[in-house]
Amino acid sequence: MSNQNDFDRLSQRLNLSRRSFLKGTAIGAGTLAAGGLMEIKYGKEAKAFAYEPYPRDDQLETVVTSCAHNCGSRHMLVAHKWKDVIVRLSTDDGRYQKGGYFGKDGNEEPQLRACLRGRSYRQRLYSAERLLFPMMRVGKRGEGKFKRVSWDEALDFVARKMIELKNKYGPTAILDQSYAGASYGVLHKSDQIEGLLGRFLGMFGCRTSSWSVPSYQGTTSSSRWTFGTIQDGNEDDAFAYSKLMIMWGWNPAYTFHGGNTFMYLRMAKQRGCKFVVVDPQYTDSAAAYDAWWIPIKPNTDAAMMAGMAHYIFTNNLQDQEFIDKFCQGMDEGTMPDWAAKSPNGKENFKDYILGKYDGQPKTPEWASKICGVPAKDIKKLAHMYATTKPAALKASWAPGRNAYGEQYSRMAAALQAMTGNIGKLGGCAEGVGKAWHAEAVAYPYDQYSNIWFASIKSDRWAHCVLNYPNVRREEIGLWPRQDATDGQIPNIKGIFWQGSDWFNQLTNINKEIKAIEKLELVVCMDSTITPSGLFADVLLPVATHFERHDVALPWYKGHYYIHRPKVIEPMGEAKTDFQIFTELAYRIGGDVFGKAYNPKANRNYFNYNDDVDEAYLREWWEGRVMHHQGVEMSWEEFKRRGVYKFKLPRPHVAFQDQVEKGVPFQTPSGKIEILSSELANISDWTKTRYGYHIPSIPKWIEPWESLNSPKTSKYPFHLVSPHPRWRTHSIFNNCSWLRETYEQEVTMNAADAKRMGIKMGDIVEVWNDRGKVVVPVYVTERCMPGVLVIHEGVWMDRDENGVDRAGNPDFLTLDDPSPAGAFAYNTVLCNIAKTNLEHRPGWDKLATARSHVFRREHRREL
Amino acid sequence: MAAETTRPKKDTKKIRAAIKRRKHATYTPVKPDMQLGFIHNNVDCIGCRACEMACKDKNGLPPGPRFRRVQYIEGGTFPEVFAYKVNMSCNHCAEPACLPTCPTGAIFKRKKDGIVDIDSTLCIGCRRCEAACPFGAPQFDPEENIVKKCNMCVDEIEAGRKPYCVMACMMRVLDIGPIDKIWDGSLDTVAIGPHDKVVRQVKNMADIELTHPSIGFVAHSKGKVE
Ligand code: SF4
Ligand code: SF4
Ligand code: SF4
Repeated sequence: MSNQNDFDRLSQRLNLSRRSFLKGTAIGAGTLAAGGLMEIKYGKEAKAFAYEPYPRDDQLETVVTSCAHNCGSRHMLVAHKWKDVIVRLSTDDGRYQKGGYFGKDGNEEPQLRACLRGRSYRQRLYSAERLLFPMMRVGKRGEGKFKRVSWDEALDFVARKMIELKNKYGPTAILDQSYAGASYGVLHKSDQIEGLLGRFLGMFGCRTSSWSVPSYQGTTSSSRWTFGTIQDGNEDDAFAYSKLMIMWGWNPAYTFHGGNTFMYLRMAKQRGCKFVVVDPQYTDSAAAYDAWWIPIKPNTDAAMMAGMAHYIFTNNLQDQEFIDKFCQGMDEGTMPDWAAKSPNGKENFKDYILGKYDGQPKTPEWASKICGVPAKDIKKLAHMYATTKPAALKASWAPGRNAYGEQYSRMAAALQAMTGNIGKLGGCAEGVGKAWHAEAVAYPYDQYSNIWFASIKSDRWAHCVLNYPNVRREEIGLWPRQDATDGQIPNIKGIFWQGSDWFNQLTNINKEIKAIEKLELVVCMDSTITPSGLFADVLLPVATHFERHDVALPWYKGHYYIHRPKVIEPMGEAKTDFQIFTELAYRIGGDVFGKAYNPKANRNYFNYNDDVDEAYLREWWEGRVMHHQGVEMSWEEFKRRGVYKFKLPRPHVAFQDQVEKGVPFQTPSGKIEILSSELANISDWTKTRYGYHIPSIPKWIEPWESLNSPKTSKYPFHLVSPHPRWRTHSIFNNCSWLRETYEQEVTMNAADAKRMGIKMGDIVEVWNDRGKVVVPVYVTERCMPGVLVIHEGVWMDRDENGVDRAGNPDFLTLDDPSPAGAFAYNTVLCNIAKTNLEHRPGWDKLATARSHVFRREHRREL
Repeated sequence: MAAETTRPKKDTKKIRAAIKRRKHATYTPVKPDMQLGFIHNNVDCIGCRACEMACKDKNGLPPGPRFRRVQYIEGGTFPEVFAYKVNMSCNHCAEPACLPTCPTGAIFKRKKDGIVDIDSTLCIGCRRCEAACPFGAPQFDPEENIVKKCNMCVDEIEAGRKPYCVMACMMRVLDIGPIDKIWDGSLDTVAIGPHDKVVRQVKNMADIELTHPSIGFVAHSKGKVE
């Protein structure tokens, strides 16, 4: 590569002909009179590149890799390194793919440009919070005092303890709380259901697993019942064809869902698509897409949707042909014969909406009283949605993270179906939104991959530990088993965290803190110290994705693979998760366990893993990707380029084959199940993983707390805790660059604040019966009255009274999930007041101090 | 944090000589052969600040200095509200206010493309340019005790590429080009939408008459100046 000036190439890119280039500009000439512009003459022209010393990109080694956290997307990172140090990161610029060149972009193979978090990865990689050596607790649990130990000592301790727990308490003693923090590689996979830890504990014969997904279990349950799959998503380029986009609780300007969704939405806007945002906040998405903002009371979405359904049915605006052909239980005509005799499935959706069963028609006026949206707006939106074709109702996850959140997701699916917007380009059936399907597994995958001896709703572990053995199965959402152990309450005595900061991220942290004291083994495997890690007995340093070989998958949308070589050697004594589990397997069960767990390796894998990892990945590429997906690029070429982008014959739309070619849906009936066959046939709910009754059709169910409940006399505010833009859950909370872009704060409506004498920047406490947090306040007109917003994921920092000075909203959330497993993160009443307590913004004092000075250059236009 | 930056020792002799030269300097206005400038779409920008992070990383900046700053602007009264973003780094002005204030002559404007840069070996950290610039572009680096600012990633431009912030923009609403082409709308860029008009001045910035900044915007309806 050359360092010489290359204006020709640039000028072409800048649409600049040689002639206009030479002509120069007119501005320069006109400025003399203004008198200010002077060049200081040195005799020779100053060289504009005034940094010293500064290695230019072309003097550094370029390595293509990607981000690796659980954000909703997957973008390319390009490491520019000097020897074993990453000097800076750039991203996809079109050069790396096959047939690529600098600047190549566009609809078919868009660049995979990393977001702000990806761009700040060096701060995480080289942070002071990196774990570099194995450590063991020396103080009390949670005190955060550790001493450095050898790998031998740490692993022997863990192996001994694991055997002890299993012998003493049985096969449910160890709780698998692996999560996606180190995930989205095909080889080094951390995951709550299947992954390296699950397979390790399952083979060991001691594992309680956690089945409900914190972010979107309500939606997952809904998609499974309604469509029989969570693959109800379109690829993001399909959004460019919508004429109407209803973003329900969806803020893709913050939380990415697919690598370029926001860009394709811009394309839709340029083509005349109208945008609507239904959300308690006027989000950046609302602003960027110039949307009609409909502020709605949190946790009342299903009521508003029922009101829309009422308007559509009573005005006969539904797509009856679509309903008759594809739906079960939408109305009387689509009820299956067996329904009348089923224990739970006698009602159809239309008659429920019209009030035939309970005498209450779900009119827009009825809905308005619940959700706070004027009836005329509900009607207007319903009319727009039913008459604009194609229209996308993108029902996002946040409104489903609620008490009875699954009802919101199912209600949305009913609206999508009754307007015939499923399986059509420009329409939308999301839901979960998983679209193109990647070949995701290169780690050994066999009959041991998901063995568990008990499985519970993920945020019920503390309840289970604290009340054992006086726990009923429905309280913890115990998954049924087909053997004699069905119904046995797990006796949890240890926790493993792999790529997981769940202690900081699940609901009702104060209850978790009580529960963790009862455990006998807490292991945390991570690449940085985390708030969870502070409660561990053993800290095992894990190599980041820059320090191990893997291939990155797109998240739920996107059709490409990105190669992730070992860019640098692991720092300190860090090892990969796979190395750690393999070595533990050898220590616990000798060659038999070791070989079975990692068939391609021998015991030296702990010291040298390059060849084995390469062998797994090559086998995956050649056996699955090339074989199953018709990819012709060789593994060698893929490694050289770093990226493979699929070109799809048409924009991928979920259920297009079902609607166009009559392929059955994956439900028991082969239809879109507005009436769920599964739910309709349940009579004993305690024997199901749900534990409690769930209606077979979408219904409005009053949540246990909301702005409509009597509890508002004590706690008048409803708190929601969305995913932030500047962290991925709790990851990146320690990065000072990102800290400059935000402040952990509570967002509050301006009129509410005025009434309470609260001003922008005041420090407030926000509390309810479960806990208290201290944060600065952001006063704005962009948030509806009665609602407070605190973003999830900040690293907890408790004072001696248990008050969280960092502002983690999960001190206020309730660990009572919905029957279908939805975490009730957004079902929280609380109160707010000015306080003298000090807010502690984080562990990196310098960065956060500056974030006050440089925080949002906020200016209000009045 | 990033790898330790090696800080070259200041050459006091060189600086003294520069000040002396600066005192006796004769000034000739720089008329760039072609002025490069930025274009930012205030409406379609989602405010994600990927551009800011890319810049921090590229320039290896500690917490504090931010060459590129995405301003969040909001207004109205619930529920009739609006919001938009104005994104600025250094505007590489036609008449840079920063330049003549520098006592060592460290700031200069390039003839070739109008880029305004600061020679880091001559900067003594007096922060006069910081005070003079109406747009807040020069940023004090407390670790190196000098002022730094956007140099339009001149190394990337010289390599035939575009600046890091431009190549980071997730929405493709930030771009660079010859400023006259940006202003007259003839630049081929997706930053400007099919129905968009480019303006030189929006509400949330200093008067452009002060320095004639080389930047264009697609303005939000509430950000337009009559
Ligand atoms: S924006 Fe400020 S620092 Fe940049 S050239 Fe203009 S006056 Fe100088
Ligand atoms: S051009 Fe380069 S230095 Fe200037 S703001 Fe963009 S990334 Fe930063
Ligand atoms: S990267 Fe682009 S969309 Fe994001 S803040 Fe910067 S200019 Fe706006």
